[in-house]
Amino acid sequence: MKLTDLEKINDHLWEIPKSHRPDMHVPARVYATETMLQSIVQDRSLEQLVNVCTIPGIRKYALAMPDVHEGYGFPIGGVAAVGASDGAISPGGIGYDINCGVRLLRSSLTLDEIRPRLEKLAHSIAREIPSGVGRGGSVRLKGQDLDLILRDGARRAVEMGHGREDDLKHIESGGRLDGADPHVVSQVARERGFDQLGTIGSGNHFVEIDRVEQIFDEEEAARLGLVRDGIVVQIHTGSRGLGHQVATDSIKGMMKAMPAYGITVADRELACAPISSREGQRYMGGMASAANFAFANRQLITAGIRRAWSREFGDDVVEIVYDVAHNVAKVERYPDVGEVVVHRKGATRAFPGQPVLIPGSMGTASYVLVGLDGAMEQTFGSSCHGAGRTMSRTKARTQINAEELRGRLRKLGIIAEAGSSKGLVEEAPEAYKDIDAVVDVVARAGIAKKVARVVPIAVVKG
Amino acid sequence: MYELVHHIADVRLRVAAPALEELFRDSVRGMYAVMRGASERDSQPVQRTIEVDESPDTTALLVDFLNEVLNRAQIGHELFTDVLFTRFDGTSLTATLSGIAPASFEEDVKAVTYHEADVRREGEAWTTMLVFDL
Repeated sequence: MKLTDLEKINDHLWEIPKSHRPDMHVPARVYATETMLQSIVQDRSLEQLVNVCTIPGIRKYALAMPDVHEGYGFPIGGVAAVGASDGAISPGGIGYDINCGVRLLRSSLTLDEIRPRLEKLAHSIAREIPSGVGRGGSVRLKGQDLDLILRDGARRAVEMGHGREDDLKHIESGGRLDGADPHVVSQVARERGFDQLGTIGSGNHFVEIDRVEQIFDEEEAARLGLVRDGIVVQIHTGSRGLGHQVATDSIKGMMKAMPAYGITVADRELACAPISSREGQRYMGGMASAANFAFANRQLITAGIRRAWSREFGDDVVEIVYDVAHNVAKVERYPDVGEVVVHRKGATRAFPGQPVLIPGSMGTASYVLVGLDGAMEQTFGSSCHGAGRTMSRTKARTQINAEELRGRLRKLGIIAEAGSSKGLVEEAPEAYKDIDAVVDVVARAGIAKKVARVVPIAVVKG
Repeated sequence: MYELVHHIADVRLRVAAPALEELFRDSVRGMYAVMRGASERDSQPVQRTIEVDESPDTTALLVDFLNEVLNRAQIGHELFTDVLFTRFDGTSLTATLSGIAPASFEEDVKAVTYHEADVRREGEAWTTMLVFDL
């Protein structure tokens, strides 16, 4: 893709017209500054976005958020809405890590109160929350528990003693997606998930303790219980092996079914089927089940953090600020397109008034935003989901030294608890885009407004 | 043989081999190289048999096969370094996997994707690209 293939709409919005390729049903739009765009065209994000424009029943346009980067099938940071009655659902438009998402917790402590015991706290959290990579976690689901988790998500986790009823009010969709059908979740997916609840995984997943560095909107911050120099905790993980297998099973099934529906796709990872078809309905039921597993996973991790917190700080109460999914499909209604199924792959729902959590990299910053009306008008109620990678993992491993990175983080006052040096360098700050620039684009576009900027003081990685 | 190729977020592997079965075997070894055991010193040897049937074509067979290997790895907490095929016809196969059961893995591969996978003959070699979702 060349810059000249894009038409400028304004300083932060660009369009690839429908005429760019004959099989596009709609144009593609990209939220980015010109400088960001020069970086975006270096990988295949926009070619992938153009492929998304060929999905049957797609409405209005396919969207790329400013943190977009190359994925497979859909780009990461992609949004597409398809007609609920005539559209096709594409598991690749949600991704393998169904309901990968972010949960933000807040403590009543300040930095001064937490600093003397921070190292011990980070170590304690690392012990409570295993990566689970290649060995599983400490929770083994028995009997009907897995089915109930798949059906009821975080609610079931709370019923099992891993939280409080009040927690559920602060989770997207109440921590439970409707339409879950545990019966369509394969035995293999169940076996991959049964020992992974309460585990964080590897890659870019983490638990991070942050200090609220800056408040942009006092009123919204007060509503969310955020104060300057207050302490918050971010959890970034998803549905682990169970969700990955639901996606794999569905893509395989849809690839076989597509010829019967007369569907051809530019990339097998865009395999799709009509939402109303047997394959489409099975995926919707399986995806909701996996999403519920992810909500429950973040609930168990919250319980682990609370245990570690309690050991260090007694009765300080750790509350949930909010929990958002950034890999999920949802049935929503918009005035101009009616009822649609919105695919968000590396994109966060940003309904007016809803908290939007945007994690950055371990050495920079993260943001708490709140969705605006502009998101409903422009982006099917969606925003960015993170900083977005700008350096490959292999390049990060060859260019960044783990000890130098640990030293650099220490100088910034950041404690790093990582399962492996490899995992640490792959997630180094320089491997990511400038989070401030990414968030500026969604703020200037009127998609979401800034509430708070938080900076890390301890990072726990799988 | 396999080699890691630049990918911004995940892992891209280029695999080439003189025979189709060797291409599949080298792909298993490439996946092992990505996942690796965090500590393999006291790992017990393991052996598993898997079957894959009715893949639409050879490219899909490779991806489906690798996803089955990944399932065995994730469920049994095992890693596989070698494979012996007892049935192999281009759209289905039976294979015996050999490997180890380490204490944990270094990397969590979520899935082997169909993205960019394209098993083809190039001169004397069979080749494909593979993208693993991390």
